[in-house]
Amino acid sequence: MALSLPTQCPHTVNPLRRSPKPALLRRLNHRVCVVSAATPLLQVNDLKAKIVESNVEILHGVNLTVNQGEVHAIMGKNGSGKSTFAKVLVGHPDYEVTGGSVVFKGENLLEMEPEERSLAGLFMSFQSPVEIPGVSNDEFLVMAYNARRKKLGLPELGPLECFSYLMEKLQLVNMKPDFLNRNVNEGFSGGERKRNEILQLAVLGADLAILDEIDSGLDVDALRDVANAVNQILTPENSLLMITHYRRILDLLNPTHVHVMDKGKIARTGDLSMVEAIEAEGYETVSSLT
Amino acid sequence: MSLSGTALWPLGLCPLIPCSWSYGRGRGRGRGRCRGSASSDPYVLELAESLEDSLPSSPSPLRNLRMASSEALLSTPWPSRREEPFRFTDLSFIRNSRIHPVSHPYPVTLLTPLSDLPHPLYVGPLSALSSPSLIHQVSQFLSSSAPHHADLFWSINGFAAPDLTLVYVPQGTHLDNPIHLAYHPSHASDTMHLSNPRVLVILEKGARLHIIEDFSANHNHSYWTNAAFEALIGEAAHLTHSYIQSQSLSAAHIKWTSVRQESSSTYQLTEVSTGAKLGRHNLHIQQLGPDTVTDLSTLHLSVGDQTQDLHSTLVLDHPRGYSRQLHKCIVAHSQGQAVFDGNIQVNRYAQQTDAGQLTRSLLLQPRATVNVKPNLQIVAHDVKCSHGAAISDLEENQLLYFQARGIDKNTARRLLIFAFGGEVIDKFPCSSIRDTVRTQITNLLDPSSV
Ligand SMILES: Nc1ncnc2c1ncn2[C@@H]1O[C@H](COP(=O)(O)OP(=O)(O)OP(=O)(O)O)[C@@H](O)[C@H]1O
Ligand SMILES: [Mg+2]
Repeated sequence: MALSLPTQCPHTVNPLRRSPKPALLRRLNHRVCVVSAATPLLQVNDLKAKIVESNVEILHGVNLTVNQGEVHAIMGKNGSGKSTFAKVLVGHPDYEVTGGSVVFKGENLLEMEPEERSLAGLFMSFQSPVEIPGVSNDEFLVMAYNARRKKLGLPELGPLECFSYLMEKLQLVNMKPDFLNRNVNEGFSGGERKRNEILQLAVLGADLAILDEIDSGLDVDALRDVANAVNQILTPENSLLMITHYRRILDLLNPTHVHVMDKGKIARTGDLSMVEAIEAEGYETVSSLT
Repeated sequence: MSLSGTALWPLGLCPLIPCSWSYGRGRGRGRGRCRGSASSDPYVLELAESLEDSLPSSPSPLRNLRMASSEALLSTPWPSRREEPFRFTDLSFIRNSRIHPVSHPYPVTLLTPLSDLPHPLYVGPLSALSSPSLIHQVSQFLSSSAPHHADLFWSINGFAAPDLTLVYVPQGTHLDNPIHLAYHPSHASDTMHLSNPRVLVILEKGARLHIIEDFSANHNHSYWTNAAFEALIGEAAHLTHSYIQSQSLSAAHIKWTSVRQESSSTYQLTEVSTGAKLGRHNLHIQQLGPDTVTDLSTLHLSVGDQTQDLHSTLVLDHPRGYSRQLHKCIVAHSQGQAVFDGNIQVNRYAQQTDAGQLTRSLLLQPRATVNVKPNLQIVAHDVKCSHGAAISDLEENQLLYFQARGIDKNTARRLLIFAFGGEVIDKFPCSSIRDTVRTQITNLLDPSSV
């Protein structure tokens, strides 16, 4: 599948953009997709990774397959390796892969530079997005957007040409236009940072969006905004992998698969019903069940 | 060593160099004017002699300054690395060159059209000034204005400045357009031309001015600019100072900026120095009354085998001063170096002073070096002072953030370097200067983009 990206800015219709739909409809879409096609998008096989600096292995053999159109959730105790897994997938230099394989859209993901992974359609929202003083949000977005257009063989656009496109995306995540002039994440509140990650997802599109605790630190309204935005951004062909500790976002985004990570491995996989067991009995019991 | 300087002693003018020192080498063409006993550095003596030869022969209102400077010059040896102010700054590059002082043409030109300037205001060479009272005022000021830590280079300039660019803004006058001074060094292939441009800014009570000092050069010649800038900021007056140094990477650039601030005045300096093989800025600010505001922002960039050095002193002797100093340096070459010695003195009577100092360095190559010595000396007790120093490479986390959004690492690096420097660049009040400086830095960081 090609990158989900509008081919012209700002006049044409963004293929990603759909009119707002209630979450229920999206759920239906997904069910349909899952049944009709099981094209693998991401295949992670026995992935092992260590921290470069300390040589400590964190991922001890992760196995996970995400097919086109599926919505997955990873839960698990603090420190079990969820964020590390996400960061290894996007190529964070703090970690070194020591074993296993990752195939994304049929290609060896581990051989790609981080920017190539992004351009190939992999997006991750960071659990703690870093501040970039001195670089404004709009400058950053325009640059990232143009990198994507370049990859697609489209002409790059000036900041003015991008303006209405960016405004549209801001509306989608319900952010005030002032956020464009502010420096990337600088002085943003926890919730504003999360929204800003979703804004980037809205601008860039993705075949697979990994959302690392996008719901942490969000108030009820913000969570609804973010979930609505995600539902509008992703078409039934796109996939979603969210990392979370809370049930609320699961109810809004309705995952088809729920995994529990424990000590650097996927310890258990089930569906939404497993979340109830986790909430009732805790991770210890759930991950030890086989 | 060879100093050129063959001009004959002008008849009818008595020598400025007092005849109280010994001339150790006994050069055959000694002109018999200097036979004495005080010991000094023969190199400096020879340099002094060639400086004197280079001066115009007409009498000048700078005479008092020359007299005062000659004494200091002759008693000061060439600085060695054993002395604290030059511990990290190697001057041998100058010393090993054949120095040729040049006083003509005077290297400062005014880019602001004079027709735009309101009347009693004066901008121009001191030699063309006709008001006897102002000449007198300037002459008085000059002979007594040497900053506390004045060094050999201050004296060289005071002794050898052929003229002085005076900017005089009378009481209550506000200048809307900036005064833009451009410096053009002269050069030759076999010698290192030394020029000594000097600027004096006098702002009377309540006056307001933005001055731009632009030392640029787009060629790669070897020369030595030894500049001095003095400002006297009157009560409640406001001076904004933009200083851009992008001279040749084969040049030496030594600069003094000495500022005196009367009560309730404001001095705001923004500096970006990217040029010269050896760049040294001595910045001295003296508070003359209470309630002053001092805001210093400087960015030094070494992209080659270069040293960029800022030595600053801010002396607060009166109550309720407010000062902020931000110094940033980027060293992007394994043989590049940055030096910062920033001294802030909050003395006994400077109660309720609010002084902040921050220095941040970015080292982009494994062997790049930086020597920073921020220091606050606080004697007054009721003050609010803060300082900090940080040295780092670019943040991996930040680079990854760009990459994770599809922006390649080189572009990300360049952007982050700009973002680091941008904090200073953004303080230039003129957008045209901000743009020029950004372009310069882009070209320096990525020569292929030129
Ligand atoms: N760069 C790093 N340096 C040092 N330790 C690290 C690093 N990255 C991860 N770790 C350690 O690896 C373990 C897994 O961390 P990770 O962030 O992946 O946990 P997590 O499952 O995302 O936890 P949480 O639910 O709290 O977000 C933790 O013990 C963490 O301290
Ligand atoms: Mg985490």
